[in-house]
Amino acid sequence: MTSDRIAHIWGARTPHGPEDEWPVRVDQYLRDGTDESTVAWVASACVLCSNGCGMDIGVVDGRIVGVRGRATDRVNRGRLGPKGLFGWQANGSPDRLTTPMIRRDGELVAATWDEAMALIVERTRAVVKEHGPLGLGFYTTGQLFIEDYYTIGVVVRGGLGTPHLDGNTRLCTATSDAALKETFGTDGDPGSLADIDLCDTLFLVGHNMAETHTVSWARVLDRLAGPAPPRLIAVDPRPTKVAAVADVHLAIRPGTNLALLNGIQRELIVNGWVDREFVDAHTVGYDRLADVVDAYPPQRVADLCGVTAEDVLVAARIIGESERLVSTALQGVYQSHQATASACQINNINLLRGMIGRPGCTVFQMNGQPTAQNTRETGADGDLVGMRNWQNPDHVADLARLWNVDPVQIPSWSPPTHVMQMFRYAEEGSIRFLWITGTNPAVSLPELHRIRAILEQERLFVVVSDAFLTETAMRADVVLPAAMWGEKLGTFTNHDRTVHLSDKAVEPPGEARSDLDIFRDYAHRLGLADKDGAPLVSWTTPEQCFDAFKEVTRDRPCDYSGLTYEKLRGSGGIQWPCNAHHPNGTERLYTDARFNTATDECEDYGHDLLTGAAFERKDHADLAADGRAVLKAAHFNPPHEPPDDEYPLLLTTGRTAYHFHTRTKTRRAPQLNAAAPQMWVELSSGDAARLDITEGDLVRVASARGHLVAPARITDLREGVVFAPFHFGYWDWVAQPQPDGVEREPPTAANELTITDWDPVSKQPLFKAGAVRVEKVAGSNGHPSLAPTTTASAPVTSGVPPTHGDSTVRETIGGQR
Amino acid sequence: VKIDRAIDDVGEAETDLAKRLVAVAERHAVEHDLYHLGHTLARQCVERVEVLRPFAERYGATPLPDGTGTDASSGLLETLRRKASEVLGRSEASGLVLLADLRETYLLAHRAEISWVILLQAAKAARDPELIKAATSSHEASQGVATWLRTKIKVSAPQILVSG
Repeated sequence: MTSDRIAHIWGARTPHGPEDEWPVRVDQYLRDGTDESTVAWVASACVLCSNGCGMDIGVVDGRIVGVRGRATDRVNRGRLGPKGLFGWQANGSPDRLTTPMIRRDGELVAATWDEAMALIVERTRAVVKEHGPLGLGFYTTGQLFIEDYYTIGVVVRGGLGTPHLDGNTRLCTATSDAALKETFGTDGDPGSLADIDLCDTLFLVGHNMAETHTVSWARVLDRLAGPAPPRLIAVDPRPTKVAAVADVHLAIRPGTNLALLNGIQRELIVNGWVDREFVDAHTVGYDRLADVVDAYPPQRVADLCGVTAEDVLVAARIIGESERLVSTALQGVYQSHQATASACQINNINLLRGMIGRPGCTVFQMNGQPTAQNTRETGADGDLVGMRNWQNPDHVADLARLWNVDPVQIPSWSPPTHVMQMFRYAEEGSIRFLWITGTNPAVSLPELHRIRAILEQERLFVVVSDAFLTETAMRADVVLPAAMWGEKLGTFTNHDRTVHLSDKAVEPPGEARSDLDIFRDYAHRLGLADKDGAPLVSWTTPEQCFDAFKEVTRDRPCDYSGLTYEKLRGSGGIQWPCNAHHPNGTERLYTDARFNTATDECEDYGHDLLTGAAFERKDHADLAADGRAVLKAAHFNPPHEPPDDEYPLLLTTGRTAYHFHTRTKTRRAPQLNAAAPQMWVELSSGDAARLDITEGDLVRVASARGHLVAPARITDLREGVVFAPFHFGYWDWVAQPQPDGVEREPPTAANELTITDWDPVSKQPLFKAGAVRVEKVAGSNGHPSLAPTTTASAPVTSGVPPTHGDSTVRETIGGQR
Repeated sequence: VKIDRAIDDVGEAETDLAKRLVAVAERHAVEHDLYHLGHTLARQCVERVEVLRPFAERYGATPLPDGTGTDASSGLLETLRRKASEVLGRSEASGLVLLADLRETYLLAHRAEISWVILLQAAKAARDPELIKAATSSHEASQGVATWLRTKIKVSAPQILVSG
């Protein structure tokens, strides 16, 4: 059957119970008019969220013509979400970058690769001469492959020797990474997506799974429609589709996750829902945790969070009486106040219940981007490669041995620098060279007027490698055209540790090159060498690079040593660790309830959750965790920018199901663009009534940092909260008549408003914090906002035309895995 | 018994630390983590002094400071400091000023910490279980300030001193 997958985001139901496998449903979309018999299929996986669904890329005459889900894949069993189905069209977009560009007399003009790379190398050398390697900064993405990241990591950390390398995964999964390290000793989600099939209770905290991980949400919907459905608790200030089907919806005041989670843990303890045998044998820190959470009785939680004590108690009881609990967290936790502290409490809840490492029992510290997990594993973000501890000299020495460099070459005097700090260094002038790969900070970082001012400084040399001329690339001194997914070979890993190989389906356009090739060229031109004078980047092909990466992961928690391209090609996805002992991968970690917390093996010695003060080796040794999980506790503190008379509302930002990041890809897919074509802001009906604002009215939202203007969507959002999607920057801006008939310049980007503040432990920016005020600019003239009606943005006003597309996607239910 | 002296010392040390944290946070408002955490930690210094208030009465100590001067500066002064910080924050000289301020604050944090140790020892010898409980948890919390500053200093120093 064919389906309109813009209108029906999650596709047809295939109900199933905990005893059955999740049925196969193969989703396929081919460009209109394609003769299916002429299509050659190339195995890959989707790169438009961290679920990483297995997909085949359809190719005709050297061009991508469509995609289909892979029935045999463990992640999706054939399904794809709207972004996966339609997003590939960006690859063939006519405005791809096809040649390098250099800024001359203020204009970016075409140049040869040789000219561009020579200039980059010259500037690198000049900055190193004057400022040393600490004058260089590198900011990468969550979109590349292992092979790209690993090459960048080796060049920057092993070759240039600067700690200033981070990924934009800092914005999406740094807290996931941090919380896993704090509790379990090392990174890596312990569970399996199959635990959704097996659980009896789902606890989703700040995780709008229906829009962020649409295929996993289809899996949940299938459980809810089948026999023995799980209970569901949703924590979210918005009326998400998750909340709509939840047994309990806790629409808490933004910034109060920690108070709620402490309160729930108190109830688990008070009511005897704690598995004391498990806790005593496999955790440390229980007494302090019990002491801290005791200060959060239900009524105090209700007051702090703005929900009823009754709902807190009902939620705690569902968790307390569950037998197979899956808890998840995403940006509602990670980008909110006390992020890591809150994320750790979600780990704690599963530990208190003794529900981890068993079928149907796990915690998912979810990721945002498709290859975010790999920035963490390859050391292209704030981690050292192979989950090594930068504070542990043995780990650093081991890495130096594998790279054949002097250990002092690898920066390990302090943690790798996070992106917000890097921009601060660029602001004060101690970073003079910034290379940005595949990300768009000019729209995606907080407080945009500041970010733009930093990027536009004369004294900062900015290199951007990207597939498109983003708002960031427009401000660069050199722009390099990069090959995208489908145009290069490589591997990547999703949030349940499933590794996929993505084959090259088509040639990159023009002179575009993979990031691996670009950084290999950079290293060779700089003459980066190991101790013996051999080239530091010793590989040429992605497969050679993967083999080198495998060696640095051998016997590490993320062990890839048992994987090969051959084994991965056409597989249904294989989960690390995969080695001689586990040749088919490992479905669940910690099945023996032994965690990676021995002082010599842990990836991090931990932090004080309030301040982010880094513990040192002796502090960690004093814990004597030695294989037991660490129950970290923290008290709730008020958010840094509470609402006041001038800015009486709380801002939260987020995504919609149809777009990814700053729409660099999804804006170029007609179906996705049509579903959410322009900026909007969401107001609660109560606030809207008070402000005399109705559906579609043009409103101005202002914070202490900036403002934006957009049509209003009135929803069942929690009162006192304003939601702004973060997708809408400026690269595609064309004069469009607004409801008042005036053609108005931007600003439209949500990050004009956001505060420069970050979690003290994970250093993740707090995009869901800060205060704003809203005022009406002009009436709607009867035109509703163009926000989707199919999602958390659903209007309360009647008569808004429903979001829809065409019935172009073929869904085939059933068949063999 | 001279426990009143130890209580006086704690009150003075925590209040001085709070004032310094606020001043440093505002002088370096462009160091956003320092700005936000400086204010949070200053507030906690004042809260720790509040915990001591009943004990100050019990032991006849001088009335404890009430936190005056440890609030975020309001209005014009805050704006001036912020503007000054933005201007200074764009020059390379800002790093050395920052490092000096962090070092001085670190010393004040240690002064507060050891003042709690002194009071805790006295409380133990005086066998005052309530004071022991209060001083134990406050001492633990006061250690956090120095540990945080130590982390901040260790991260900042290389960039300031080597990439000048």
